Amino acid sequence: MANKVKLDLVNVENREDRLGSIISWDGSASRLAELSKYEARAQKKNRACGGCGENAGGYCRIQEFDMPFNQQTMCSHSIVACQIGNITDCILIEHSPIGCSAIHPRFNMGYKIGLARRGKPIESIRIFSTNLLEEDMLFGAAEKLRRTIRDAYERFAPKAIFLSMSCSTAVIGEDIEGVGEELEEELGIPIVPMHCEGFRSKHWSTGFDISQHAVVRQIVNKNPENKQKDLINIVALWGTDYFTEMLKPLNLRVNYMIDMASFDELRQASEAAATATFCHTLGSYMATALEEEYGVPQINAPQPYGIAATDEWLRAVAKVVGKEGEIDAYIQSEHERIAPKLAELREKLQGIKGFVATGSSFAHAMAEVIRELGVQIDGSIVFHHDPVYDSGYENQDTLKHLVEHYGDIPNFTVSKTQQFQFSGLLKRVNPDFIIIRHNGLAPVAAKLGIPSFAMGDEHFPLGYDGIIRTGEALFEILARKKFGQVLKRHVKLPYTDWWLAQEDQFILAKHPEILDED
Amino acid sequence: MSNSILHPHYGCAIGAAYTVAAIPKAVPIANSGPGCVDNQYCMLASGNGFQGAGFAGGGAMPSANLGEKEIVFGGIPRLDLLVKSTLKIIDGDLFVILSGCSSELIGDDIVALAKEYQEKGKPVVAVEAAGFKGNNLVGHELALEAIIDQYVGDYDGERTRGLINVFSEVPYFNTNWRGDLIELKRVLEGAGFEVNILFGPQSAGVSEWKTIPKAQFNLLVSPWVGLSTVEYLKEKYGQDYLHIPILPIGEEATSGFLRQVVEFAGIDKEKSEKFIAKEADEYYYFLEHFSEFFSEYWYGLPSRFATVGDSAYNIAVTKFLAGQIGLIPIKQIITDNPPQKYRAGIAKLYENLSEGISAEALFIEDGYEVEKEVENAPFCGSVPLIIGSSWEKDAAVKLGGLLIETTTPVTEELVINRSYIGYKGALSLLEKIYTLTVGGK
Repeated sequence: MANKVKLDLVNVENREDRLGSIISWDGSASRLAELSKYEARAQKKNRACGGCGENAGGYCRIQEFDMPFNQQTMCSHSIVACQIGNITDCILIEHSPIGCSAIHPRFNMGYKIGLARRGKPIESIRIFSTNLLEEDMLFGAAEKLRRTIRDAYERFAPKAIFLSMSCSTAVIGEDIEGVGEELEEELGIPIVPMHCEGFRSKHWSTGFDISQHAVVRQIVNKNPENKQKDLINIVALWGTDYFTEMLKPLNLRVNYMIDMASFDELRQASEAAATATFCHTLGSYMATALEEEYGVPQINAPQPYGIAATDEWLRAVAKVVGKEGEIDAYIQSEHERIAPKLAELREKLQGIKGFVATGSSFAHAMAEVIRELGVQIDGSIVFHHDPVYDSGYENQDTLKHLVEHYGDIPNFTVSKTQQFQFSGLLKRVNPDFIIIRHNGLAPVAAKLGIPSFAMGDEHFPLGYDGIIRTGEALFEILARKKFGQVLKRHVKLPYTDWWLAQEDQFILAKHPEILDED
Repeated sequence: MSNSILHPHYGCAIGAAYTVAAIPKAVPIANSGPGCVDNQYCMLASGNGFQGAGFAGGGAMPSANLGEKEIVFGGIPRLDLLVKSTLKIIDGDLFVILSGCSSELIGDDIVALAKEYQEKGKPVVAVEAAGFKGNNLVGHELALEAIIDQYVGDYDGERTRGLINVFSEVPYFNTNWRGDLIELKRVLEGAGFEVNILFGPQSAGVSEWKTIPKAQFNLLVSPWVGLSTVEYLKEKYGQDYLHIPILPIGEEATSGFLRQVVEFAGIDKEKSEKFIAKEADEYYYFLEHFSEFFSEYWYGLPSRFATVGDSAYNIAVTKFLAGQIGLIPIKQIITDNPPQKYRAGIAKLYENLSEGISAEALFIEDGYEVEKEVENAPFCGSVPLIIGSSWEKDAAVKLGGLLIETTTPVTEELVINRSYIGYKGALSLLEKIYTLTVGGK
C-alpha cells in the first residue's frame, strides 16, 4: 500500500481532502461514529470517501451543512505560527503583511508559559514578518524575503529557518520554495517552506499537519542509526509535563514535539522507540509520518484520559517497548490508589451536568474524563470532525471508544467555533459548566450564567491523577456560577430575539429562503 | 523598501474592525480569510490588556472565512449571503464590511455590494482595508471616512454651538482608550461642552454619529492619527478643527488644554474656570499627599525612563514625567509608523518638553531594533523605568528594570477602565509607577 503521508511533496493535502474532515454537522455521537466508517475508510486510498459509495460515484463524504453565516475563526497560517514559531532555536518568517503576525502576543504568552512548564529559559518568541505593503503586491517581494532570511540568520544564528505563506503571497504567487532553496545553499542551514495560506483549508488543523510535515521532511535525522530505546516522542502543545511521571514505570524519557522543542530534540524524533500524543487530531499525521519513514512505531490506543483509555494506552506503550509483563501490576495499583478519592468525587458530583467544546479527539477524551467522574454529559461541540486519523489504526478511533465505553452523547455537534450557535446548543442541554479550548465561545456561556473550565493546560486531566485533578478543579469552576448569574441578569447577547428563539442552530442551511423573508 | 518586523506593535488595516466594534451596536463584517480578524483581536483586544471585545467583536464577529472556492470564483456571492444573514442574526444598528488582502487581490467589489444594501435602506457600509495598505491606524482612518461618507451622509443644516466631535485615541489600539475617552469627555463637559465621544461606553452609538455634522467643530487630540479625518470633515461639511497634538496628563496640562479648547470655541469661560479650579484643588490635595512619599524616598526609585509605543501615548507620558515629575527621558521610541510628512512635527514636540528639557524621538517599527535600543539606553545605574509594551519585558528583565505597559501588546497587565490622562488619570499613572517600587521588592 502506498504511504499515507507523502514526504516527497512540499505540500500537504488538506484534511478535508485527505481524511474527509467536516466542520458543520449535528446529531448524536453514535450516529457520527457510524457515519465516519473509520475502519472502512482507513483501508481506502481516498479517505475523503468512506468506502461505501463506489456505486454512487465513488464519493461518500459525510454530508455537512453549508451555513450562510460564519464568524471569525483561526486559520492554518496562525496554527503554523504557534507550532513552528515555538521551536526554541529556529526562526519562523511569515511572508506577509503585518496583520498575519498580529496574533503573536497570544502565542508569546503561550510560549513563555510553555517554557516555564518545561523548565526551559524564558524568552519571547522570535517570528519575523516580511511586513509587505501595496507595492510588494504589485512587484513581488522575493528580495524582501531574502533580506529577512539573512537578517534572521545574522541576528540569531538559528539552526533552521521556516517560511510561511499567507493568503496574499499565495494569491500573487510568491516563490518561497525557490528562495528557500537558494538561501539554504548560501547559509548552509535548512530553510523550510510551508504552504499554509489561510484560505487553503476549511479547517485550521491542516496547519498542524503542515507544521509536522515540514519538521519530519527537513529537520528530522534522516539516518537514525543510533536508536534511543528509552525515548518516546509525545506530539503535544504547551501542556505541563505529566507524561514523564506517567511513563516512569516503563523507564521512558519523553521527547515533546513541536512546541518548545529545540532543533536537536526534533531531529532525534526518528531515533525514538515510539511516538504517542495527547490528541490524535493533533498528532496522528506526525506519528504516521515517523512510522512510515523511519519505522518509529506509534501507540495504537486512544489518548490516555479517563481510566479505560489510560489502561489501554499504558498497555500499548508497554507492548511497543517490550515491557508488557511489567505494566499490569502498575495499572492495578494505580486503580487502587485513586479509587477512594474517585469514589468521593463521584459522590459529590452527582447530578452535575457538563458540556465539552474543544478540538475533535480531545473532546472525546474530555467527555471520558468527565463521565469517569460521574458527571452527566448530554451535549458536546467539536470544532471539526475527522472521520479517520492518518494512522487509520482502529484503536485510535476515539469517538467509537467514547461511545462504547461511556455511552452515547445524544447532542453532538460539529461547529467551527461558531459563537452564534453556541447559546442555542447550550440551552438545548442546560449544563452546569462547560469544558472549553480556543477563544470566542466561553463569553457566551458566561452570559448565559454557565461557568467555563478553560482547559488551557491540555495535560491537566491526563492519566489517573488527571481525573482526580479535574474533579477537584470542578468545584472551583462551579463556584464561578455566581459570576455568570450576575452577567446573565444584566448583560445581553448581540443576537436578535428571532435568532435566539431558533431551536435548530442549522436552520439557515436547511431553509436558506428564510433569509429572504423580512 | 520597508523593514521586516519582529515583535510587532500594531495590526494591519483590517484591524479597523475594532474601530467599528468600538461604536455601540455597530457590527464589523470581515470579507477576508478565516484568521484575519482573529489575529487583530489578539493584537488589539485580548493581547492588549485583555480588554475584551464585547458586543460584535471577538468570537461574535461575522467573517466570510474565504476559501479556495471564493479565491478562484470570487467572494461576492458568499459575502452577500453573509451580510443578509448578519442583518437577520445580529441585533446591530450599523454594519461595516471590511475587506482583507485576498478579497482585494481577487477584486471583490465590496463597495458596490454595500451600495445595493444602502439603496434598500439598510445601514451597510464598506471599507477596503486590506492589510497590505498599512497598519491598523491607516485602517482606522479609512473606516472613519467610509462611515462618515456612506452612513452619516450629507448635511447642510445648522451647527450647534458648544457641541464638539472628539477624535483622539484609537479604540482598542490605545490600551487605555475607554478610560481615557471617559476622562476626556468628563473634563470637556465640565468645561461646558456637549461632547460626541463616538466610541466606547459613553457614546450614544449611531444616533451620536448622525450628529457629527452638527458639531461646532472637531477636536483632534492626537499627534497625527485622525488628521486626515478632520481634514476630510472640513472638506465635506466645512467644519473647523482644532488640533492639539498632545494628550493632556496632569493638572497643568489638562487645565491648559481646556482653556485652549474654550478659547477656540469662544464659549463662556466662567463655567470652565470654575470647573478647572475645583479639579485643580482636588488634584493638588492628592499630589501633596503623594509628595510625602516622593520626597522621603529616593534610593531604589527610577530616575531615568524610556518610552516605547505609539505617538500619542509616547509624547504625552514623556512630557508629563519629564516636565511634571522630574524624571529624565533618555530613550523615546515611536513604533506606530507615522507617515513621513508628520515625523518632523512629532519630533519637534520632544524638543521642548518643559523648560530646559528636551529629548530625541526615534521612529522604529522593528521590535528587535527597539529592544536593542532599550537595552543599550543610558540608564546610568538608576533603576531603569520602561513605559512600553510586553515585548520590552525581556529587556526589562535583563536590565533589572520596571516595565509599565501602556501600548499594545499588553499581556502582563489587565485593563478594565483604566486611564492615565487628564486630572484623574495622571494620579493613576503615578500610583502604577510607584506601586512597582514599594514594599521591599
